[in-house]
Amino acid sequence: MSAAWAVWRKELAIYAATPLAYVLAAVTLSLAGLFFWLGVALTGEASLRVMLSDLAVAQLFIVPMLTMRSVAEERRQGTLELLLTCPVSPGAIVVGKWLAALTLCGIVLAATGVFPVVLAMYGDPDWGVIATSYLGLGCVSAAFCAAGLFASTLTDDHVAAGLLGIVMLLPLWLLAGAERVLPRAWAERLAPLGLVGHLQSFGHGILDTADLAYFAALGCGFLVLATHRLEGRRWR
Amino acid sequence: MAVNPTGRRRLLAGADATLRSVLVVASLVFAAGLATRFRARVDLGFDQTSVLQPDTHHKLAQLAGGPPVRITAFTSQPGRPDAALKDQRLRDLLDEVELAADDVEVRWVDYDRERLTAEQLGVTAYGVVVVQRGEQRVDLHDRALFQREGGPEGALRFTGEPALARALAQLLTDRRRMVYTLVGHGEPAADSPAPDGLAELARLLSTDHIELRSLDLARDRTPGEAPQIPADADAVLVIAPTATIPSTEDDVLAAAVARGVPFLVALDTGTGVPSWLQRAGIRLGDGWIMDAVRVFPYVDRPIPRTRTHPITADLARQALVTVLPRVAPVMAAVPAQDGVMTSTLLSSGDEAWTERGGAAVDGVPVHDPELDGPIGPLAMALAVELGPASGLVTRGDTRVVVLGDADGLRNATLAEGPGNPTFVMNAMRWLLRDEAALSVVRPPAAARRLALTRAQLDTLRAGALAYGPLVALLAAWVARLGRRER
Amino acid sequence: MVEVRALCKSWGPRPALRDVGFAIGSGEIVGILGPNGAGKTTTMRILTGYLAATSGEVRVAGHDVLDDPDAVKRHVGYLPETPPLYPELTVGQSLRFVAELRGYDRRARVLAAGTAMERVGLGGWEDRRVGTLSKGYRQRVGIAQAILHAPPVLILDEPTSGLDPAQVGEIRALIRALAGSHTVLLSTHVLAEVEAMCPRAVVLAAGRVRADGPLDALRAATGDGGWVEAEVRGVAPRVLGEVPGVAWVEPGEADADGWIPLRMKAADPARPSIAAAVQVAGGQLRALRWCLPSLQDTFLSLTRDP
Repeated sequence: MSAAWAVWRKELAIYAATPLAYVLAAVTLSLAGLFFWLGVALTGEASLRVMLSDLAVAQLFIVPMLTMRSVAEERRQGTLELLLTCPVSPGAIVVGKWLAALTLCGIVLAATGVFPVVLAMYGDPDWGVIATSYLGLGCVSAAFCAAGLFASTLTDDHVAAGLLGIVMLLPLWLLAGAERVLPRAWAERLAPLGLVGHLQSFGHGILDTADLAYFAALGCGFLVLATHRLEGRRWR
Repeated sequence: MAVNPTGRRRLLAGADATLRSVLVVASLVFAAGLATRFRARVDLGFDQTSVLQPDTHHKLAQLAGGPPVRITAFTSQPGRPDAALKDQRLRDLLDEVELAADDVEVRWVDYDRERLTAEQLGVTAYGVVVVQRGEQRVDLHDRALFQREGGPEGALRFTGEPALARALAQLLTDRRRMVYTLVGHGEPAADSPAPDGLAELARLLSTDHIELRSLDLARDRTPGEAPQIPADADAVLVIAPTATIPSTEDDVLAAAVARGVPFLVALDTGTGVPSWLQRAGIRLGDGWIMDAVRVFPYVDRPIPRTRTHPITADLARQALVTVLPRVAPVMAAVPAQDGVMTSTLLSSGDEAWTERGGAAVDGVPVHDPELDGPIGPLAMALAVELGPASGLVTRGDTRVVVLGDADGLRNATLAEGPGNPTFVMNAMRWLLRDEAALSVVRPPAAARRLALTRAQLDTLRAGALAYGPLVALLAAWVARLGRRER
Repeated sequence: MVEVRALCKSWGPRPALRDVGFAIGSGEIVGILGPNGAGKTTTMRILTGYLAATSGEVRVAGHDVLDDPDAVKRHVGYLPETPPLYPELTVGQSLRFVAELRGYDRRARVLAAGTAMERVGLGGWEDRRVGTLSKGYRQRVGIAQAILHAPPVLILDEPTSGLDPAQVGEIRALIRALAGSHTVLLSTHVLAEVEAMCPRAVVLAAGRVRADGPLDALRAATGDGGWVEAEVRGVAPRVLGEVPGVAWVEPGEADADGWIPLRMKAADPARPSIAAAVQVAGGQLRALRWCLPSLQDTFLSLTRDP
């Protein structure tokens, strides 16, 4: 697994050296500020619910942008050949890249930590609820990073990879409104796949095994698919 | 082309990888499905208000098997300052209810857009929740679901779950039960919101469809007639009378006991025990219980140990602490009198004594053998069953719960002790012979509001909006600086 | 050290390699020569385990590339055609990353990176970002990455393509220096490269091995001796064809002044008789050269489709 850490360190060094990460961090944090303000103005409550649930939706668009270059760029500039001609398993490469993207998400989320502190200055927030909310956001980021990474293994083109990632995740989000479009029986059957339903509980302090399993399955599934793409490339 | 060894190996390895990936993904989906089917939900919130209270679960379970429960919730009036918050809270609650019970159907109706539904149900206001089961129907109005504390600008308190619990209790038993609490001798009033009042207790009892009312025997009587306990009384509370109860009223209480009316008697140190209770052999020690073993955060009071009894079974199971700030030892005669069966509900630990104001170290009383008497476990609450042999009851038997402390039932303390609501509610259910309803009860929590002035709000807006770009710019600048040094 | 047997690779119905086979002994320097699209890069990618062959067998240092790709990867240092570099990283970061990827611990990582930099002449460039380096220096970083783990086999895909002549010289010198401690397999479509560095060449065209052996042997195999080139005026080329010792004459286009370049199949000693024949015919002779076939010609004749 030392290879995964090597890839992780390298990815972070590259994120730090390219403007993309800063731009996306600025966008995320600006949105977080906006949502935080909206939540405070709307409910007047010492809670981050509005911010965290809206931020999860924003992640759907931001995370694939963050991960879009991770494999596509390696392939384009030929460095994938370097990685795969080292005695390293494709799984380790995928995990390293995933952890790097997740670390970046974690740093950005940590930077939103001032908002609960502000809440604590003017009110008495429920720290248990805030903790589960952040955990939920972490789960979403992890699953989205995995999906974005998989999208990035599908094509050499950054922009295509980013869009592909968003397109893959969008249906999961749109399922929340499925009952308005689909027949009721269908909507009910598809409901457990929806993203929004699995985020709600985190937002009010509840850990639900069903939600944790959903995000774990989503994340691991995409990681396995991404590994498979890298591995299968040899045989084509 | 014949498949050569390499080709076969390639096929095997390639197919192997595909098969492995497919299997892993399939097992992940299976695991997720399993976790959804056998889901467990843990509320990590400090208020524990997100998942349903055990008591609500219990009521839903009691309702299961009968006709399905239909809950129709109407949206709050848009544009009102708290509309979003109210809708959100209500939606969370009803989501949980729907998750918790299979035969509960929740419908969310936009009052402005779906007037037809409102008309069909005869609903004419925003924010109403209609709970139906077969022919039964209970309407919960906005004022039952949300309460303001301390005026129109005060904190909004969501009382949706207790209100819903009451509605469910109402579906279980249509009859509202009446409980009277004696006043006129310095007792707290049923509707008093003061720290020493009983408004919280009344609210708590209402979740079981029980109404708590003050009863002044001297005043609330038909002129010319002798005072009496109303015929509709299902139970009577005697909570910390500071003055002596006149013998005429004492006789009225004794008559009610004889008739079979159950009593909850909570006495503070130094108050007299009603004479009929004395006749059953119940006495109150003078002084209060101190325990050498103290548990954080209750360092100044003894922690009650629960004894085996239906009332305290839930307290024992959930390790809930009942807070009794200054509790006097309650003693039953040994050997027990004929027809009197007492069981200890709460008692102190083994290293407790009756403190009578002797020596103290750093303000904390210490045991003084001369004054305080011996060390040993002391009873704090008793459950008493009086049979005809006691001479106090004419027929059948009567239940009485005696508590050595009244503060644990007052507004100030009722919500403080994690076990207090459960103890009181279960004691009441046991008194009312409603054993099926025994379960854990938690106090409702207040919404956590922000206290912001207009100016602070403006500062907050500017700060929140500027924060993101500033931090990212700063990070980029630091990174650039670090690179330029190379 | 490297054994390739009956290697085939096809993408869909199109075969890229057809029955390629060669063996390279320890310490050899071998050039794989072929025009663009001949299958050089594909062969090398299969050798390094980056691609899997459709059929055939590849063994490096005794390990089968399909059965134990990781062992093969440990024994091979590979420089792809475009050096695999991260422009955002510094030279030191890049090399330490590769070392970590190859399982070196923290101290060994720094040591290996330092040694590799010294060997390719990158000492003192450690903190330069790769993106700011010239092409020649990037190539050096690529080579440093390939030799970092002291692999017994070094596979270099077109190591000098796209460099200016000075850089080409430097890189060639570097490869020659490395050859002492590694078995080197390099591919190129530039003949001079093979001539300058490799005692042995494998010629690849259209996915097949056309020739394999020492350069002189290759030349002998295709070269049916040399030829004579002349420039004449006022003589019919056909007259010279009748000179004894001249097998055939191939005239070129006459220029404005009437000079005709001729190419004659003849032996070196036949030149005086050719000069005499021109004089006899009353023509003028401006040049008369004895030519040996260059590798270029060998290469062209080998790779021309039959």
